[in-house]
Amino acid sequence: MTVIEVDRLTKRYRETVALDDVTVSFDENIIYGLLGRNGAGKTTLMSILTAQNFASAGAVRVFGEDPYENAHVLSRICFVREGQRYPDDARPPHAFRMARLFFPNWSQELADELVTAFQLPMKTRIKKLSRGQLSAVGVIIGLASRAEITFFDEPYLGLDAVARQIFYDRLLEDYAEHPRTVILSSHLIDEVANLIERVVVIDGGRILLDEETDAVRDRAATVVGDSDAVEAFVRGREVIHRESLGRVASVTVLGTLTDDDRRALAASGVEVGPVSLQQLIVRLTQHRADQSGRDAAEGALR
Amino acid sequence: MNRTLKVVRMQFVNRYTFVWMPLIILGASWAMSVVIFALIPYDGAKYGGGSQAPIWYFFALGIVALSYSFPFSQALSITRREFFLGTMLAALVTSLILGIVFVVGGAIEQATRGWGVNGYFFYLDWVWRSGPFAAGLFYASIGLLLFLLGFWGATVYRRFGPLGLTVALVAIGVALIALIWVITQVQAWPQVGAWMAGLDVPALTGVILLVTIVVGAGSFATLRRAVPA
Repeated sequence: MTVIEVDRLTKRYRETVALDDVTVSFDENIIYGLLGRNGAGKTTLMSILTAQNFASAGAVRVFGEDPYENAHVLSRICFVREGQRYPDDARPPHAFRMARLFFPNWSQELADELVTAFQLPMKTRIKKLSRGQLSAVGVIIGLASRAEITFFDEPYLGLDAVARQIFYDRLLEDYAEHPRTVILSSHLIDEVANLIERVVVIDGGRILLDEETDAVRDRAATVVGDSDAVEAFVRGREVIHRESLGRVASVTVLGTLTDDDRRALAASGVEVGPVSLQQLIVRLTQHRADQSGRDAAEGALR
Repeated sequence: MNRTLKVVRMQFVNRYTFVWMPLIILGASWAMSVVIFALIPYDGAKYGGGSQAPIWYFFALGIVALSYSFPFSQALSITRREFFLGTMLAALVTSLILGIVFVVGGAIEQATRGWGVNGYFFYLDWVWRSGPFAAGLFYASIGLLLFLLGFWGATVYRRFGPLGLTVALVAIGVALIALIWVITQVQAWPQVGAWMAGLDVPALTGVILLVTIVVGAGSFATLRRAVPA
């Protein structure tokens, strides 16, 4: 079932277009990765979906309704933004107590567990917390809210590798028990690659890609083996990435491999490995930037 | 529970801002005033402006209630209407408490002949002329108005930035000057003066509440399109 529909959404700021005619939808009980560069429009999109910000044109529907001033819809959503402001004099338990008032599915048990897991100091004022601890407050509210649609806006800023892993593990664990729609914006793409079921890539205010994560992975392959054999195979193909060590080369090529390709590779002793989602998305994003640059140049010539 | 009432509870979750700070300010300014009254070698009734301190704090409270809590209220999926009404209700409760404190304090002052030093912190003769109930409401209405002025100012700042707030303040200044100019042009100062002098405490409270409602309507209109970050 579709829970979020975005129809020709445009957001203009004074000098920039943050979202440019975006049409996309999100289904129930799926973990989405909302990926893109800084300033691509991720936060703006999430802000408008949660009625924290306003569209310049176009419409959004959440659970089939306009979310603006709609308590019925909003009470089922949670969006703690990156750099969220908290009451200046509040300590973490104050923030959690406030959150508990408004999220009907709030789990205090989960919140308490997460406080321990993240080693969040409960007696320090929020404004005195480190960047990572501040992120932990937002992550705890997002997870413990168990909202039907939960947005995480670059939730890992300042968190160390251990804390990030705790977040990923707890998210999956709790998601398995309490399925919900999760929209996770991130630019640590490889870290979240195993978490997200669907990838939405946004670039320059436009949706660049909206596909199953596995399907995206199939768009490219990495071949590893004797460098001569590998080079012979990749000739004429679009290469995304290339590494070599002595006689061994590892090359990532764009395009799905056919059965014939696989047979040929097996015959020449070249192995096919998984491709990095990050490499792929970076490449796709750059590809688009090059193209639009070329289009602009051609337009200027005409 | 109704979500608007939950906003009231949210504003009171951290008692520091809404309860302890005003009590500290009230207690400190009262204690200092009484000490000063005792030091003044004068036998007649002594009045001080110290009691204004907790009332002015309501202006700061209005700013804080918006700028500290509004961005977080958005993260808690609270609608702007719920946030506004709940915060107003919290302000109303706090203002009424202020009124009650001033009435009780004034009653004690009268009973103890000004804390034994003939000094009056809460009790002002002209405010009490229409009785303690009217006096309490008068103080509460001033507290509420100051709260809303702070709240509106902070909302304008959040929505339109420092430039917007400056322009708004300049506009209010220009409007007041225009009003003075009009009154001067039609030579209505004697009537205006007579009207002001003729206002008793209940009427003055009414005027304050009317202004409060106008400021409240303006605040809500501004908040409806405000963005948290």
